[in-house]
Amino acid sequence: MAVQPSTYKLEFPYKRSLGPVVGTFLTGLRDRKILGICTSAGRVLVPPLEYDPETGDANPDDWREVGPSGAVEGWTWVEKPGPKQPLGHAFAWALVKLDGADTAMLHALDAGSIDRVQTGMRVRARWAAETRGHITDIECFEPFDPAES
Amino acid sequence: MADEPVTTMEQMVSLEYKIHSTPLQRSYGRALREGRITGHKCPECSLVYSPPTGFCSLCVVPTSEQHEVEIADRGTITSFTIVDPIQYRGQEEREVYALASILLDGASGSIGQQRIGDVAPDEVRMGMRVEAAWLPEEERKGGAAQAALGGAIRHWRPNGEPDRPLEEFAEHII
Repeated sequence: MAVQPSTYKLEFPYKRSLGPVVGTFLTGLRDRKILGICTSAGRVLVPPLEYDPETGDANPDDWREVGPSGAVEGWTWVEKPGPKQPLGHAFAWALVKLDGADTAMLHALDAGSIDRVQTGMRVRARWAAETRGHITDIECFEPFDPAES
Repeated sequence: MADEPVTTMEQMVSLEYKIHSTPLQRSYGRALREGRITGHKCPECSLVYSPPTGFCSLCVVPTSEQHEVEIADRGTITSFTIVDPIQYRGQEEREVYALASILLDGASGSIGQQRIGDVAPDEVRMGMRVEAAWLPEEERKGGAAQAALGGAIRHWRPNGEPDRPLEEFAEHII
């Protein structure tokens, strides 16, 4: 028998406290809603931020439901996903600007093949079977043609 | 609660990795699987390194197979600690146990983190004589140097010999 490499596993099961902004966002996901925060200037930030990146002012406690569909603003293809990536087969990381939002959020896009991904394409959120208040409550985004639904 | 606000988020940080052993570690591992513990004896100062390092750090000379020597599978406990395992998530130990540094007969330095068995932890002491309780041959792994003894030897147990006085091993505790 050959000497095998030694395998090690190191785990830190952290639990992070959430503030009022990310907490509200994840509470929304748990309830299958995507929430954005509205700045004083009327821009809707998704994912939400505590402060307006344009002015540095604290954002008012003003929330808007957005999506669940939107458009791809940019993407990159992952041919061979690693073991901890959100999908077990080839997928795209995409910046998705949800309908009603003024900023794009990064998430996985399950498009099947690289030929089906285009900047500007319409997508919508696919929810996880069970939601718990985590970004993975959105399992991924998937191509969405309003004409087909 | 399903309708309570979400205030925390689990964030698992997980790292899995493999260590590929060096030719020297493989040779050491092969010997362990045969039930032998080996070391290298420095040709200049005669210090015996086990596990072998492939060099003497004091004389700054390389050592190789021609300097290999056999080390006994018995020795003296030079220091120890009693572990009362906290039951955090992922903990696999349930009972209080002892880990010891052991100066094997024929080696110049002790090996650390060795499990002591077949004796109550509160009876473990400096100077106690122990011997290897080898795993059955088919269960011996003999991986990379640091883990190799753990992969080939279940634990070390008292062998009934009289304790050794501190003066004999005081220079070799760590």
